[in-house]
Amino acid sequence: MKKYLAAIICGFGAGVLQIVPFVKNFSCCMILPLAVFFSLLLDQRATRNFEKIPMKKALLFGLFTGLFAASFGSVLEILITFITKHNDVIASFTDLQRIVQNLPLSEDIKKEVLNIFQSVREDILKNGFSILYTFSVIVNNFIVNSIFGSVGGLIGARIINSKLHHQSNGQ
Amino acid sequence: MKRSYSLILFFLFLIWFLGIFIEWFIKIDEHFVFALPYLQKTYSLVCHQEKNKLLLFGEIETLTCARCTGIYLGLLLSSLLVLLKLPKGKLHINILLVAAAPMIADVLLTSLNIYAYSKLIAFLTGFLLGSFGFFYLYAGLNSLILELKR
Repeated sequence: MKKYLAAIICGFGAGVLQIVPFVKNFSCCMILPLAVFFSLLLDQRATRNFEKIPMKKALLFGLFTGLFAASFGSVLEILITFITKHNDVIASFTDLQRIVQNLPLSEDIKKEVLNIFQSVREDILKNGFSILYTFSVIVNNFIVNSIFGSVGGLIGARIINSKLHHQSNGQ
Repeated sequence: MKRSYSLILFFLFLIWFLGIFIEWFIKIDEHFVFALPYLQKTYSLVCHQEKNKLLLFGEIETLTCARCTGIYLGLLLSSLLVLLKLPKGKLHINILLVAAAPMIADVLLTSLNIYAYSKLIAFLTGFLLGSFGFFYLYAGLNSLILELKR
């Protein structure tokens, strides 16, 4: 576990930035790749190993940072929803209604979609919890964050390694 | 990297990019509407999705902001370029920094209200970073494959 301490720290940071209301307004596709980049730098400093980072390690670091971000993010989002009985689904429900009403759909489909989301909305307003919402949060977070984390690991390692390459050429 | 890997990469980017335009697909097949809220949630993880920054085509809007859409289009087009002609030689890291500079400058200047946010500028600066960023991802994947083969 100590081996991935940097990934845990940066994963936590990324998870918070993606989930916490207001802070999440600054959310961007660069958050997770940047978190992985910083976790690679942090790991280098912690282990005092400034050698070239193997891509296998970079990929694993990216994957773990993504998974930690997904874990922290999911727990925080479910917890915040449970406490406040409010979340994205509630906030965007009227928007979703408007979008669905404006789309050229059959009345049956419109009714079916809105019924699904109405039931999720009611569950959250009443209990602060919805199985469908929780499932979608967990699946979404784990898939997206692990992919973006891995991508960040590969690009981050390339940047760090090329910096080392230039430094050693300069000496 | 083998062309088959590049093809897989291209299709992954294509699927991700097409997801942004899910509202168009609902017009083709109404059953896509069931995926709309799920995809909105998916893209919300990687984009703030501020209403005034989304690309709007008539009444239909994208699921990511202009900048993110630009980044993903850049990645997609570069992956297509790589598919047609495998790149030779190495890209200097400074090129990535130069490609990122306009986007960073635009984010800073609009955040500081030096000038007003423009979807076109956001899209173009994102596109520039995405286009060049892909080659670093590609090089990283190449190195990973070589390491795994050893």
